[in-house]
Amino acid sequence: MGRIFRNLFVAGCVVLWLIPLYLLVVNALTPVTAYTGRPDWAPRGFAVWENLSTAWSDAGIGDSFLSSLVYAVVCGAAAVVVAAMAAFAVVVLPIPKPVFWFWLIYSGTLFPLQMFLAPLFGMYADGNLYDTRLGLMLVYVAWAVPFAFFLIRNQMTTMPPEVTEAAMLDGASFRRIFWRIHVPLMGSSLAAAFIFQFTAVWNDLLFGITLSRSPDIQPVMAALTTLNNAYASSGPPVILAGALIVSLPTLVVFLVFRGLFLRGITATAR
Amino acid sequence: MTDAMSTATPAATDGPGAAGKPLRIRRRIPTRTPHQAADGIRAGHRLGHPLVGIPWALPALLFVGILLVYPFFRSVYGSFFEDNGFTSHYTGLDNYARLADDPIFGRSLLNTVVWVAGTLLLPVAIGLAIAVATHRMRLGRLAQLLIVLPYAISGAATAVLWKFILTSEGSLNEVLHGIGLDSLSRAWLLEWPQNTIAMIVASTWQATGLNVVLFAIGLRAIPRETVEAAELDGATGWRMFRHITLPQLRSVTVVVVGMAIVNSLKAFDLIWVLTQGGPARSSETLALTMYREAFRLFHVGYGSAIALVLSVIVVASSWMYLRRQMPDMSAAKN
Repeated sequence: MGRIFRNLFVAGCVVLWLIPLYLLVVNALTPVTAYTGRPDWAPRGFAVWENLSTAWSDAGIGDSFLSSLVYAVVCGAAAVVVAAMAAFAVVVLPIPKPVFWFWLIYSGTLFPLQMFLAPLFGMYADGNLYDTRLGLMLVYVAWAVPFAFFLIRNQMTTMPPEVTEAAMLDGASFRRIFWRIHVPLMGSSLAAAFIFQFTAVWNDLLFGITLSRSPDIQPVMAALTTLNNAYASSGPPVILAGALIVSLPTLVVFLVFRGLFLRGITATAR
Repeated sequence: MTDAMSTATPAATDGPGAAGKPLRIRRRIPTRTPHQAADGIRAGHRLGHPLVGIPWALPALLFVGILLVYPFFRSVYGSFFEDNGFTSHYTGLDNYARLADDPIFGRSLLNTVVWVAGTLLLPVAIGLAIAVATHRMRLGRLAQLLIVLPYAISGAATAVLWKFILTSEGSLNEVLHGIGLDSLSRAWLLEWPQNTIAMIVASTWQATGLNVVLFAIGLRAIPRETVEAAELDGATGWRMFRHITLPQLRSVTVVVVGMAIVNSLKAFDLIWVLTQGGPARSSETLALTMYREAFRLFHVGYGSAIALVLSVIVVASSWMYLRRQMPDMSAAKN
């Protein structure tokens, strides 16, 4: 009795969770011209490539997709390196008041983005960084550093100090110790932090719509929002195809690196 | 306070190392416990000057300091000004006084509370239920994977998809029509409070999977002996859950609840794309109200005041959760 109920509950939840994804795919298949104004529940034609290419080129998702790919990869990697260096300083090196530095850097993730936006906008307008790729990338790195730092620092504290000590005795410099010992030993943590920050930057909307305006600078979620605002004119199949395109990178990363993907966020629970 | 913390942290470097040294000489045998070895490093004799770590932390400090910490304090400062983006003048606490009798702020605050309550009610409770139901179940991991899948999709894409479902001619009303419940179909996104509730459901679809994963980690960490002992004592079903499983999940629950509160307070993308806070600003939360005031209506000082209120709420309500992340706490665990 209990078991049947449990299986039914789980099966029901899975079906409920899959329905929106099913609708997404089925309606992204529908040719725009065949779309009746009502959602389809069964595939009506197979125009997915047409819809994808309309969303990619005509609606400008393509340019933003490539921009966002650069933002997410470069900023994710830069943030991980910067955060790993800071973690190395706080955990391994003799720095005074490490707890103060920890909170100073970590505080960046505590507050809602709204707390930073208005002055950032002013600074960017004054410094000619508004609506530039460099400006967006700088803020993405700054935004990604605190949580990456938190993840890497927690992992680094589990490394025995004898490792560093032995390397010091052998005459290795700090730079050598960092790149030859800590970075290789922390490989999976660094990868988890990178995947987490890649996803965060890729999924960002708020910085994108606040600090940029031109279609070729805006990140991909901002482009999707623009496309969505033209709901009536472009037709739902194209918009859903756009949503499909922008979701693919994170979905693929999730399915391929599931362990690392979830490790970032679940690290806070251990 | 900082001193007490730093001595409890393995990373601490400013503790006096002299105490450990004569001990080591007296012992004469060159073996040391890891703890003492760490002391030797902490003394800084081998590692050089205490400031040698600063250059390593500098890039992170520059990024965070210039682009996050400085804007934070600039926001606090700016909240005391009447600022339309071109001219600004000092008005003291006027912005905060205005908050008190702004009906839009009141509605926004109410919506924010509804979001927090709804997020605790739906994604957290459903996440716990699914995690418990799929625990040690055949194909349970597959079911979990399918439910976590939407977590990999961004808030904006989720909103685009759910707009398609929730719009007046959308899939949801079509389903209700199809099963003869026409009376239940309505303009989900156009009237308060159902627009807020509908969006919480959309966010539940996206966010529940994360809670399932977190609770599943907690469930796997429950010692088998505990469960077996309770089984021997005849505990089953609800009693087992209430008196064995739930107490053992306490620390995971703190994290899940803390994250749920923070995420619901910070929710922006989903609402912005689904309704832009409308119609008539009825579905705005504080995160949306700040953005609209500062960047659409150019009430920059007023927007900063709202941002500060939101920040205080975020930090205060997640204090329990944040305390777990303190370095001295994690050091104690190690």
